[in-house]
This record gives sequence, C-alpha cells and structure tokens, in this order.
Amino acid sequence: MSTRPLPEPLRLRLRLTKKARARFLSHAEYSRAIMFAARRSGLPLEFAGKHRPRLKLSLSPPLPIGVESGGELVDLSLVGYVPAAEAKRALSEVLPPGIEVVEARLMSGSDKAVGKLIDTAAYLVSPPEDAGTPRGWRDAAVEFMSRDSVEFTRVQPRRTRVVDIRKGVHRLDVEELEGDGVTLALALDDGVAGTVKPWEVIEVLGGMAGVSMEVLKGSRITREGLFSRRGDRLVSPMELGRRGAAAPRGRR
Amino acid sequence: MSEQFPGGVWERLEPLLLEVERPSRYLGGEWNAPDIEEGGTRVALAYPDVYEIGASNLGLAILGEVVNDMDGASSERVYSPWFDMEREMRTAGVPLFTLETHRPVSGFDIFGITIPHELTYTNILNLIDLAGLPLHARDRSAGPLVVGGGCGAANPEPLAGFFDLFALGEAEESLPRLVELVGLARASGWPRDRLIAEASRLDGFYRPSDYEVAYNPDGTVRAVDPVPGASSSRVKTVVDLDRWCLPRRPVVPSCEAVHDRVNVELFRGCVRGCRFCQAGMVYRPVRERSASLVVGMADEATALTGHDEVSLCSLSSSDYTLIEEVADRVGGICEDRRLALSLPSLRMDERSASIAGGLAGGGRGGLTFAPEAATDRLRRVINKPIAESDMVDAVVCAARAGRRRVKLYFMIGLPTETDEDVFEIAALVYRLRDAVRAQGLAPPAINVSVSTFVPKPHTPFQWCAQDDMETIRRKQDELKSGLRSRAVNLSWHDAGMSVVEGLLARGDRRLGAVIEDAWSAGGRFDSWSDHFDQARWREACDRAGLDPGFYQQRERPLDEAFPWDHLDLGVTREFLAGEYQRAMRAETSPDCRAGICIECGACERLDRAQVLKGRWP
Ligand code: SF4
Repeated sequence: MSTRPLPEPLRLRLRLTKKARARFLSHAEYSRAIMFAARRSGLPLEFAGKHRPRLKLSLSPPLPIGVESGGELVDLSLVGYVPAAEAKRALSEVLPPGIEVVEARLMSGSDKAVGKLIDTAAYLVSPPEDAGTPRGWRDAAVEFMSRDSVEFTRVQPRRTRVVDIRKGVHRLDVEELEGDGVTLALALDDGVAGTVKPWEVIEVLGGMAGVSMEVLKGSRITREGLFSRRGDRLVSPMELGRRGAAAPRGRR
Repeated sequence: MSEQFPGGVWERLEPLLLEVERPSRYLGGEWNAPDIEEGGTRVALAYPDVYEIGASNLGLAILGEVVNDMDGASSERVYSPWFDMEREMRTAGVPLFTLETHRPVSGFDIFGITIPHELTYTNILNLIDLAGLPLHARDRSAGPLVVGGGCGAANPEPLAGFFDLFALGEAEESLPRLVELVGLARASGWPRDRLIAEASRLDGFYRPSDYEVAYNPDGTVRAVDPVPGASSSRVKTVVDLDRWCLPRRPVVPSCEAVHDRVNVELFRGCVRGCRFCQAGMVYRPVRERSASLVVGMADEATALTGHDEVSLCSLSSSDYTLIEEVADRVGGICEDRRLALSLPSLRMDERSASIAGGLAGGGRGGLTFAPEAATDRLRRVINKPIAESDMVDAVVCAARAGRRRVKLYFMIGLPTETDEDVFEIAALVYRLRDAVRAQGLAPPAINVSVSTFVPKPHTPFQWCAQDDMETIRRKQDELKSGLRSRAVNLSWHDAGMSVVEGLLARGDRRLGAVIEDAWSAGGRFDSWSDHFDQARWREACDRAGLDPGFYQQRERPLDEAFPWDHLDLGVTREFLAGEYQRAMRAETSPDCRAGICIECGACERLDRAQVLKGRWP
C-alpha cells in the first residue's frame, strides 16, 4: 500500500469481535491471528527492534477462552497515513472468521496505548434458564454488593490464594427475561488495576442463589465492552479525546 | 463452515472444547484452509502427532493442495488428538474427524497417514482405531482405503498388517492417480477389494498383502515372495520440482507451530552420500527448483500467509547451486517486508556460514551445523569428510557476523566408533571456541546436541549393529563430564527412545504384534519424552517372544535378506553394500554433482536425471 510518510507514527485503534470459533482461541493465539492478518493487510505498519523486527501492537486484557466478545480493542501503529475506513476495509479482508473489525479510528501516536488504558470490562451472563429463580438471583446480587468483602479461592497454575473480589465488582445488575431466565450484567476490574474473572463472580453468586457450578457451566457469557473508569463513568477508549468525551489522563 | 455438512460432529465436539487444553487444535477454519465442496472423492490426510507438530509438515501441505486442485475431489486434514481430547472423544463417542468439515474419517474414501518416524507408530494405530475402523487391514470390509506414505514408508513392514496400501516415494503424481481410480471404482460399483487390487497396480503403490515373508529358524528373513497374481509395482515415484510449485497457499496454523514459517523447497534429494542418512539415500536423485520459481513462491506465500519468516529448505540448503542468487533476491523481499530469512541445514564451511551469517533479519540468532563426528577418521567412515579447518572457518565466520549462538549436531554410536571418537567431541568443541578467541572475537555460546546413531534401512549402515542401552548411557556420561564449561550447553536424546527406534526401524512383520501390544497398553506420543515408556515396549516384545537385541544390536552378514529388500527406492543393494565396505575401510565416495556418476542406481531405476540449475562448484 503506497502512503504518505508521516513525521511520527499514528495509532490505529480497532474494536474487534472474538466470536463463533474464534472464541476458542487463547489470548496468545488471538494476538497471533491479528499480527498475521496485519502483515497480510499491506498496511504501512510500524515495527520495533532492529535485528528481529516485531510488529508494534497493544491489546486489551485477555478474554477467557470460550467467552465471546464484541468489544475487544487493539492498537496498531502506522508509519504512513491511511484513512481509518480504508484501514478497516484492508483488515476486514484478511482477518480469520469470528474476528471482525467493528470500528476503526486514527489517533495521535502519543496517546496512551490501549493496553495501558483499560481497567474495566462489562459482561453479560445468561445462566441456563432453569438455573435458579429471578428472585434468588436478585437477592444474591443485593447480598453480594452489600458486603464489604467477598472471598474467593483463586487457583492458578503455580499458586492458589484467597482473594477479595468484592472491590473489583463495580456493577452487578439482574435483568429478568420473559419466561423464567435472567441476565446478569457485570462490570469488573480488568486490566491495569487487576482482574476479576466473570466465572469467579458467577461461582460466588451461584453459591448464594443455591445454584451449583455444574449447572452454571452451561452459562453463556459475552464481554460487551472494555472501558476506562472516570469517576463513576465508564469511558470507551474508542471515544477518548473526542469532543465531549473525557480527555485521557496525562494529556494537555 | 462445518455446521453445513451433514453428518459432521461439530455440535458434539463443541462442548468438549472447553474441557481440553488448547481447543484451537481442533477448530479448523484457519487462514488459507481450503473450502470444501460437498461430493466427489474425499481424502483425509493425517499426521500422527498433535496439531502444532503436524501443521508444520510440508509434505502433507503439498498433497492436500494437489488433491484440492483436482476436479471432483477434496482433501481435509487430520491430526492426533491429545490425551485429554482422546479421553473426551472416547467418552462422548465422537469419532476421529477432519478439521475442515468435522466429518468422521470413516466416511471418507481415502485415509492417508504419513509415517514420519518410528516413534509415531502407536499414534498411527490410535488414529485408525479412533476413526472407528478395524485395526487390521484384513478385517476391514468397508470404509476408506488406509494408505501409508512419507519417509517412514521406506520400511513399512512392521506396519504392514494395518495398511491397505503404501505410497512409495513422492506422491504428487501418484496420489491423484489413486484419487481418480477411487472415482472410477465408485462409478463402476467395484467392491473394496477390487479397488485395492487395482490400486496396487498403480505406479508408486505397494500392497503389503501381495507379499509373504518366510523366516529361517534363526529368525532372519528367508524370502519375501509375491503371492500369485501380485502386482509388480514396488518402485517409488519421484517428481520434477519445477512442475510442482506447492504449497501455494499454506494454511496458517492457529497456534505457534514447530516450524512456524514459510518453507520453500530449494531442491529434493541429496547426494553428499552420508552413510547413516536415510533421506540422503531414498530421495535421490537431486532435483533443483529454478531460482525464479523459488523467489516467486517465497514472495507469494509470505504475502498470502503473513508469516514473519521464510526458510529456504532442503536436505542441505547451502548445496543449492544458485544459493547466493536466491538468498540475495529473497533477502531483498524480506528486508522490504521486515521478515527474517533462514537457511536450515548448512554445510559446515566458510561459504555456507557467510551466506547464512548475512541473511536478512537473521540478526544475532544462531547458526546450526552438523559435523556429526569429531575425528577425521570417523567422518571419513560416515562419508562426511569436512576438514577441521572448514569447521573453524565456519564458526569464526558466524562469530564475525555477530551471531551469539552456534548449534552443533553430533552423533554417538556410529559404526567403528572408539572411546577416542567420543572423547574428541568435547575436545573439538573447545578447539573451535579457542579458534574464535584467537581471532580476538567473542566466542558464541555453543549448543551441542548429541543424538544416538540408529541404523536405517536402505542405507549403507543397514548391516550395522546399534549400541545397547548401557553403552549409550556410558557414552552420554562421558560427554557430560567432558563438556562442563558454562559456555557450552549439551543436550542428548533419551537412550531408551533410540533403542525402540532402532528396534522398529529395521523391523519385520512380526513386530506388528509388538506395536499393537504397546498401543493397547496405552502407548501414545512415544516421541514425547514425558509420555515415552520403554517398559511398555520391553514387555510387548516379551509377550510376542521377540528379542529386541536381534533387531537392534545385531550386525548382519553381508548376504542376509532384509524385510525391505523387495521395495525399490532407487539406490541398489549392491551400491549400499559397496558403500558399507568402503566405510569399514574409512574410504570416502565423491558427490556425483561434481560430474562423475558413482552408479547408485537412482537415476536409472527411477528414470529421472539429476537436475542442477547452476554449476556445481
Ligand atoms: S545414479 Fe549417479 S548421478 Fe544419479 S544420483 Fe546416483 S550417483 Fe548421482
């Protein structure tokens, strides 16, 4: 792609889906899929490192395997000017199924990278229809949010420890659906300030509502968006710097 | 997408994906994965190891495209499910499936399994079983033709009972003929055994049940005789590389694969004549690809995949006659696109090191050489007569190019090896390091990788004995105490694995029972040291009443009949025997590219001439 050279690289911010089969990719595999697609796209990408060039790229925090998302964020760095719509088209043609560009935006290269901006993730959780009652879920949500601390035993490959997940849960709403089911809307710490995983909240909440994990395993989870908290407002990194939106910290 | 295909297992597979490590291994739908149309002749091509190993296999990538380029035929990929997925599949009753359409392999017309090496034999049996097919060819009356191929088919005899057919040699031309025959069989309503019988008459195919093996009282082979009506086709096929510029659109693996790069073949075959090397004997003659085709393939494949590295590969890349020109032109493409270029399998001399040392994006990574043996005498025995001064030049050149690592491959247990030969490995490594220092350069870190010699069929060393466990271990210990420097990193092969490899490599049909036993005892992924269990093989041999030492540690008399003698891969037994005798006298043989044919038999028997695109130096 022939482009006008730039005095300093531009940031190309993309909002992507990770759906269908792509939801089974690990974070490393998803990031690899984006890097390979970026190189296929012919966009004027910026590389780092002299000896073994590496594509410059910043990703939003990992999505648990199996969870679908319509709001993954990626920053690429361009050394030549390409209109955002053109960049979106070029990438859309070469991304594997399940990963789609929803939105693309050009920003100044000196803006903070997406990986350093995000601190909150919004999830929607749909437990299987027969799992608990709407009332049980509502009571559990009220109890959860009214506590000062909620302990959870986090099992990781190398260590297991008890953590307090309460402070990482910023929103927990129960929406009743027609029929019997509910949808849980969660806003959780994710990114620079630490991470609470949706499954952790579901497990605790299920315990309070009297629903076993065995049943809850069939829940459908989607990540709806990734944000940066500004007071009690959630701001999307796609909107940062736009007129009317909050300016990112550290600028101006 | 597979959901469109009737009879696919995707819906049953999907819930299992969250129960296993790396679900991406089973997804398919990768970039450049072929679109499959329904109908026609269906081929499933399998690699008997896990996805990230198999996805790098060049041969299967080529054959998949060959079939998918045909009208009325399609080819899909299959890999071994990892332990966790096998458990889930068996519990849920999900049969072996392909990645493209997730349809059961049992419904395909051809089930091709490549045989990469001996330690995949249990995985091969597991694939057939997971597909829901009877393990033994004689018990199969329906389902796909189970066809073996690849370099492991050089001696397919231990696996003879499990396959309907073997493809001998390069299958770019023979596989389409088989696919066409299957189409014809379907149109004409032939029964399965008629189809197999007709297929065994095609060039490059061998039906093991066409031959009967008789044994002497001492356990050696007396004769391998054709049964009445057997086909005489047991000659391998070879192709012209300029006619087969594949793969054109390599599939991009969804996770990092073992060889995670675009691989472009420079040439097939190698006539350096190293006497331990099976590939160097069975892929003859040398056929180089035109430089402009190599450059074009590298250009297109990198653009179509997005890989960040290109590798110009072959059995001995720096032997390509136009290597400077090609490295230069492909290097230009790589510099433009910020890709790395690598040349694996370099000859250990200054010319190769200086070409490889200056490659684009090579940076400070390592260079790899294979001196194999540390003394001049032993290098003459194996016909790899590299002068020590060439080795010094290569390592100095790598250090001068700023390379921080050099990897050296050696082998222990080679025929005629003495304690001194083993001892000299450490001494040579130190001499090379000191020579770099003497030039005032910082010596690179040296990784020494020591494998154990395994005598292979169709090589001049097919008559030789292999070391037993204790000897291998003792030599490895000697090396460990000799190479204690912090700048040298020593790695070696598991002795037990080498012994099992040796048992199977020159095996006969009686070993089929041993493989089956090892597999039923849980044998899977034997080439993974965590999963290899030598006891399983020892017990299987005991139960079959076979002595592993008979196969593995016995030196064969010159006139002994071998289980693979009836398979013609080009080089003649007389040539191999002559080379064996020269080896015992530590005499070398020349490379026929210099202009003098040493009559190995390949060109004449396979009716192909050597193809060089430039001048051999
Ligand atoms: S037949 Fe002669 S020219 Fe051909 S590969 Fe053998 S030695 Fe070389």
